Amino acid sequence: MNKANLSLSLLCLSLSALLSLPAQAHDPKEHMKDGHKPNCAAMKDMDHSKMDMTDPLVQAMMRKCTQQMHAEHAAAGDIREEQGQRQKQEETEPQPQPEPEHKHKH
Amino acid sequence: MDKLKCLLATVFIALIAGLAFIYSGFYPMGADVPHNPLSYWALETLRERSIARAAAEIRVPADLNQAERLLAGGADYNDMCAGCHLQPGKQQSDFSLGLYPVPPNLTQAETDEEDATAEARIRFWIIKHGIKASGMPAWGPSHDDDRIWNMVAFLQRLPELSPEQYQILTARAESDTEQH
Ligand code: HEC
Repeated sequence: MNKANLSLSLLCLSLSALLSLPAQAHDPKEHMKDGHKPNCAAMKDMDHSKMDMTDPLVQAMMRKCTQQMHAEHAAAGDIREEQGQRQKQEETEPQPQPEPEHKHKH
Repeated sequence: MDKLKCLLATVFIALIAGLAFIYSGFYPMGADVPHNPLSYWALETLRERSIARAAAEIRVPADLNQAERLLAGGADYNDMCAGCHLQPGKQQSDFSLGLYPVPPNLTQAETDEEDATAEARIRFWIIKHGIKASGMPAWGPSHDDDRIWNMVAFLQRLPELSPEQYQILTARAESDTEQH
């Protein structure tokens, strides 16, 4: 094989490789649920004099941490509420239907 | 006439040689063997030209740099992209080490001077359509345009984030509604 042929075949090859590869798709590690809360304590260590409140980035961080604060304040109440709901649910839990076909009768 | 015959013969031989090479099994398919310079050039030029043409007409929203977009795009980036494209304070991952072509480290500012609008267009197109024969998936089938623009917005600010800022911006708070 001379040089020109070699390069040509390589070009052929790369083109055919391109055509034959769509099957390569794989599952990315997408939607990994990251349960971490924003670590807003770190905000306190940031240099506030350098923070520009008109900067959308700073606004975004502030918003996130205000939300987080609200969520934490409400947390105690939420737990009580949740427990109450669960109790109620248990009380009114419907009996399992013996025959699925009759489900819509009543 | 002789010249034409000679040319045709050369083309024919080249084709046969190319086919023979494909069938021979000598091509190194592994992602751990880099392309030779010629295939690299051909593939890179093919990619750059194709995307530049396809993205040329995309209209970039004027309001990319917005807190709302940064928050939405940040959480999505952390969930779906950081495994390959890294995050502040993280130099490598299994994906960044093993994929070929290597996923670019998007926490590093681009060195080539491209204007922000052109860059946003190209990024939007790549995220929406993906890149064939690379690890880069098309996110268009499962995410609407606005959500993709949010990620483009986040990418514009990503290189300036410290690990702490990144953590705050991208964390999905318990109060957030899960979109998936
Ligand atoms: C499985 C790994 C993987 C995942 C997950 C992934 N990418 Fe990529 N991405 C790649 C690879 C590999 C390339 C380079 C392709 C090439 O060079 O041909 C790339 C290229 C890109 C580029 C072009 C960068 C440049 O400067 O050329 C952008 C922008 C991008 N990805 C954004 C994203 C976004 C946003 C997400 C999440 C929604 C994402 N990617 C998820 C692997 C991945």
